[in-house]
Amino acid sequence: MSNKVACTHCHLEFDESIMIKDEEYFFCCNGCQGVFHLLNEEGLESFYEKSGNITLTPPRENFEDSSNFNTNSFYDRFVKTNTDGFNEVSLIIEGIHCSACVWLNEKALHKMAGVIEANINFTNNKATIVWADNLVKLSQIIDMIRSIGYNAFAYDASIQESHANKERKSYYLKMAVAIFSSMNIMWIAVAQYAGYFTGMTGDVKTILNIAEGILATPVLFYSGWIFFRGAYYGLKTKVINMDLLVATGALLTYIYSIYITISQQGEAYFDSVSMIITFVLIGKFLEVLSKKNAADTLDIISKNIPSEVKIIKNGSITTCKLDDVEVGDTIVVSSGEKILLDGEIIQGDGSFDESSLTGESEPVYKNNGMNVVSGTLSIDADIQFRATKDFEHSTLSNLVTLLESAINKKPKIQQMANKLSEHFSSAILMLSFMTFTVWWLWPHSFETSFMIGISVILIACPCALALATPVATLVGLGLGASRGILFKEAAQLETMAKVDTLVLDKTGTITVGKPEVIKEHIYEDFDKEILYSVVKSSNHPVARGIAAYMKENNEKIKDTILDDFTQLPALGITATCRDEELLGGNKKLLIKNDIEIDFISDNTLFYFVVNKKVVAIYELRDKVKDGAKELVDSLRAKNIKTIMLTGDNEKIAKRVSFEVGIEEFLYEQTPQSKAEYINSLHVEAKTVVMVGDGINDILALASADIGIAMGSGSDIAVEVGDVVLLDDSLKSLGDAFKISRTTYGLIKQNLFISLGYNAITIPLAMAGYVIPLVAAISMSISSLLVVGNSMRIKYKWHRG
Amino acid sequence: MDSWVISMMLGVSIFLGAIALFAFLWAIKNGQFDDENKFLNAAKFDGEDELNDAVNQERKKEELKRSYKPE
Repeated sequence: MSNKVACTHCHLEFDESIMIKDEEYFFCCNGCQGVFHLLNEEGLESFYEKSGNITLTPPRENFEDSSNFNTNSFYDRFVKTNTDGFNEVSLIIEGIHCSACVWLNEKALHKMAGVIEANINFTNNKATIVWADNLVKLSQIIDMIRSIGYNAFAYDASIQESHANKERKSYYLKMAVAIFSSMNIMWIAVAQYAGYFTGMTGDVKTILNIAEGILATPVLFYSGWIFFRGAYYGLKTKVINMDLLVATGALLTYIYSIYITISQQGEAYFDSVSMIITFVLIGKFLEVLSKKNAADTLDIISKNIPSEVKIIKNGSITTCKLDDVEVGDTIVVSSGEKILLDGEIIQGDGSFDESSLTGESEPVYKNNGMNVVSGTLSIDADIQFRATKDFEHSTLSNLVTLLESAINKKPKIQQMANKLSEHFSSAILMLSFMTFTVWWLWPHSFETSFMIGISVILIACPCALALATPVATLVGLGLGASRGILFKEAAQLETMAKVDTLVLDKTGTITVGKPEVIKEHIYEDFDKEILYSVVKSSNHPVARGIAAYMKENNEKIKDTILDDFTQLPALGITATCRDEELLGGNKKLLIKNDIEIDFISDNTLFYFVVNKKVVAIYELRDKVKDGAKELVDSLRAKNIKTIMLTGDNEKIAKRVSFEVGIEEFLYEQTPQSKAEYINSLHVEAKTVVMVGDGINDILALASADIGIAMGSGSDIAVEVGDVVLLDDSLKSLGDAFKISRTTYGLIKQNLFISLGYNAITIPLAMAGYVIPLVAAISMSISSLLVVGNSMRIKYKWHRG
Repeated sequence: MDSWVISMMLGVSIFLGAIALFAFLWAIKNGQFDDENKFLNAAKFDGEDELNDAVNQERKKEELKRSYKPE
């Protein structure tokens, strides 16, 4: 009976017999053993206590030489000098599982002489390290991180990212000040109002006014500064925006209140000043909070491109910087590696994963003289190829450039609230000015007419208007998140509700993306365990599909040992087992072995041959996902046109689109042509949602108004997409449409409520029936109405 | 007399509140809330050693600041 033991370092469990035994400890590999001893020597063994039973990734033992972290080109690109003159670099640490990992890395780095600061973010595994270059080199820091079982690579902490963080931080600061002051003003206001109704002496009132004034000042000029700035930029471009309305309203009330405080007559309204600023600031912050960070996306993409390739120079293999490879150089690629340059194979053959171009997971066989394309992956091919283009002009580099520009130029539909607020603001400012003039000329005292003029601005209450959209979208985001639909930006909910065209990728989106067995023909009895072990030893999607099918039908199936197993690219598998000659593969394999069979089908076929006799045929097909037809039908009812794009051939495209009920489809699409098609839809003034899952879809995802990625799709697609469907189902896609439409309806309602409220109260204010005290209270009521209405969405959703 | 008491109480309480506010603002600026996970887990790894470590790190920084001359 075998006995499983957990490795002391990484906690992965293995059979006792294969573990390395070291005194009373067990290790799964030398790497883990090395790290364990290192931590003990350094006095960091409490890491194991802190990490508990979390499994870690065993440390890698081979790394590329860390000395290239010390090159000048690396320093130019990634290392910055901070204000104290120290060097600073941003790294992504790989292998962080828990907070104890963060602790260990920080601790280990802090122990190094010359490291001044090591700060690792647990949420995104990004680290900032500050060091003195004369005491320690970056390569040593990297070596330290590697020696304790992690890996690090640099990334460009671009200006964009730090800018977004800075903006968020400045909002936190401003809100902290605004909320602190408003809350203090509120309790002073309680005294004010109590005194207003029960009477208090003039000097007490003045003291309260002064206290409120002092508290309101930082709110208006520090927290509210963004409104003045926004109003200024608006006026510069001749737009009257909401900021102007908020800024004028608050500033006028503030000046008036100071005048009241000094003249000791009438009521001061510092509380309204700080309330307006605080409310609208929170509304603005909610929008900033849910903004997507484009910088993160680009990081992930460049992280996926290695910086070096192996080339043959003067008869020996050397590594060369990707940018330095010239046309005509010979590049060596071994199995499992990514191809980074376009070229022509001059030696070797094998199969390639071209899903980054076509979206199809079926490997493509290539040999001498054929072209390889950058961005594809060698599955089992060890080849040499001659570069026909340098990196700058390669397909991969083109794709990255196009993607960057698509992300930066992403179409933005103006939000309804913004459109509305322009007209609203100018109308209110004008009404207020008119009211003031009319009252003054009528004749009334300056104070009375001024106060009534201001009460118009105050009662117009931009608060409810400013909160209408953010609150509704926040509820919508929460609703989506609970159903596995992640909207990365709040504004996308509104955009998505206006969509009139849906573009779907075929493989992985409409279909499952991998072949599944739909029919099994058995001609002669055979040992299923043998077939199971044959298909299990291959990574080909067809073989995997059959293995999954067999496992499903018989859970207890086990694999036996095969002798002499070979994979023939683009043909299948040959093996021997118990003196039986086995063949498994496609028709070409049978022809090559002179076996004749007459079997015609539209589906992918897998023949299993034992001793030159066909014993079984499996029909496989990439099945359409559940609910695809229903989705297309229901969208048609909503007047959304559905179009399918695929890298696959016409025949399959036709079949799938017919099965799902899509009338329009385009086949043999490249990543670029998909994006071009979406841009052509934009020219026709369509609002487009693109749904996809693979690397071949990312350009299209970035170009569309809304890009929806399947959660199980490639990392980059998930990163580029605006919306992610975690469960990959088309039902979620339907739900996403439903949620966005419900939310949009809610936004409209909220805007209607706040405008309707104004339609009643503004005439009252103009007639002088509303004193600012009442205006301030009604402001809170209308905001509450909007928030309350938004909460209704959940109820609404359940009702249908 | 009345107004003196009121103004003193207002002044003292707002002053005390402002101290807390400034401490909070300092903490935000200092990046203490940048990483919510780390912030929440910090309590687990808090102890004498960590405090010493932080102080040593601070000292090392000051020392290096004095001696370090960028090339």
